[in-house]
Amino acid sequence: MYKIPAQNYPIIQEWIAQGSRVLDLGCGDGSLLKTLAVTRQVDGIGVEISHEMILKCIGKGLCVYQADIDKDLSEWADGSFDYVVLNATLQVITRPYRVIEEMLRVGKFAIISISNFGYARNRLRVLAQGRVSSRVRLSGGWHDSPVLRFVSLREFMSSVREIGVEIMDARYFFPFNVVSNTRWPLYNLLAKEGIFRLRRA
Amino acid sequence: MNDTPALVETQVLSLERPFRFESGDIIPRIDVAYETYGRLNERRDNAVLIEHALSGDAHAAFYHPGDRKPGWWDCMIGPGKAFDTDRYFVICSNVVGGCRGTSGPASIDPATGRPYGLTFPPLSVRDMVEVQRVLLGHLGIDRLKCIAGGSMGGMQALQFFCDYPLQFDSFICLASAMKHSAQQIAFNEVGRRAIMADPRWNGGDYYAAVPPEGGLSVARMIGHITYLSEKMMQEKFGRLKKDKESKAIFRPSFEVEHYLDHQGISFVRRFDANSYLYITNAIDNFDLKSSLSSRERFRGESRQRGAHLKGMRGKRGLVISFSSDWLYPPSQSKEMVQLFAALGVQVSYAEISTEHGHDAFLTDYHRPSEITQGFLSSLS
Repeated sequence: MYKIPAQNYPIIQEWIAQGSRVLDLGCGDGSLLKTLAVTRQVDGIGVEISHEMILKCIGKGLCVYQADIDKDLSEWADGSFDYVVLNATLQVITRPYRVIEEMLRVGKFAIISISNFGYARNRLRVLAQGRVSSRVRLSGGWHDSPVLRFVSLREFMSSVREIGVEIMDARYFFPFNVVSNTRWPLYNLLAKEGIFRLRRA
Repeated sequence: MNDTPALVETQVLSLERPFRFESGDIIPRIDVAYETYGRLNERRDNAVLIEHALSGDAHAAFYHPGDRKPGWWDCMIGPGKAFDTDRYFVICSNVVGGCRGTSGPASIDPATGRPYGLTFPPLSVRDMVEVQRVLLGHLGIDRLKCIAGGSMGGMQALQFFCDYPLQFDSFICLASAMKHSAQQIAFNEVGRRAIMADPRWNGGDYYAAVPPEGGLSVARMIGHITYLSEKMMQEKFGRLKKDKESKAIFRPSFEVEHYLDHQGISFVRRFDANSYLYITNAIDNFDLKSSLSSRERFRGESRQRGAHLKGMRGKRGLVISFSSDWLYPPSQSKEMVQLFAALGVQVSYAEISTEHGHDAFLTDYHRPSEITQGFLSSLS
């Protein structure tokens, strides 16, 4: 459907401890899980809804669980995992708060990456075209795009704090492959994406 | 693939030595009917064991000479298919207690010279597994690439894998459960009662006379209702009538009635009523989780409590369910996945979306085949 940005992989690897239990929500073809299995020797399982992606994961020898992450996380017991990852998937989720809360119920830590709707180019496109750009929607029109959530970095960060979640660590992706772990002035305008390490406050 | 159908014949292993059931009862000798497909390699490590469901038998694939229909899972077993017989040595045997070549209530009791009937020992899924261990020993196989089965076959696969995890690289379980729900037991009980209410059943002693065909066919009809989804039944039959002119009352007239009637009649030709009682009772009493933790384990790789569970770590598992299967619903498969994940098995779960109900595990082979192929290839 769309590409999982591999640029986050080094950061996720850095955050995930050797040999931990990892649940990757919306794991796609399993490339992140495979990377983590090789470099961090994690005991990982992916959750995917698409049959084609399930096939790819199983073919790679990965563990995968076919389910809708909006509905089916309740089956996992509390604290089953060390890390629960939601990489470039938040925007397609119907009930994000519920999913974030479930992530921090089944896992000790959550890792979530989002693309920044507040990024300057997105703002300009809205101004110029008077609508959400098809690039933000990834595919489809307003009625059938997989992307349901348009959120800026600032909005996301303040809202997760409101539901009792602590942001332990963050990385911001600026143009020209600049990655920063500090919130520069105007980050909400200039960063394209962000990735966060979260836990219960 | 070639055009001439691959032929196979059922073989029977006759062991003139006692077999002890989980109940403690012993029969003095035992027959095991089985078929094999493909070739065992020199390292003897390419074997795959297939487990059949309630009404199945050892004839899982290929054709018996002269037959027009292949084995019950021919869509999954064969050259280039999910269980690729060019790569794997595939084995399937009839369960103990059955009536298709392996010893069961219709077999002759050497002590009396007459069929066992209800003197055949009470049966468990573990007994089915132990008999297959005897067969594997005879074939000289102590390590298998995979054990796979659907429905009751899935139960056997799970029990075998859990009792002897070191013998298997992996398991595949389709449309099955770790234990029956009250509803599943209830449907089986109605089937059993239909048989026992048939006067020809005669306390299980009917082998010299006419068997309880009426009761057995009703049991099969009930079974078939549970194997199809409501939607599929509606689409297939609706309210269509076969013979609109007929004035006869209470004769099958709706298409669905004819369908069930046909299923019932064709079943009594090949199945023994007492086997139906024994086997449904065995699967009703199957409870994987409690059998793993019970102190009374007298079989399995280790007698030490809990030690056998460690053998599962790092093994691979694949659980497949079918969305419209209301007899063995996806929720039961998901429970299984949770248990095996907690035990450290590298387990995957796929839910096939289909309208074909429980029967889908036999008919909707396309997606399960793709997944199985990917899974088996990733093992080595």
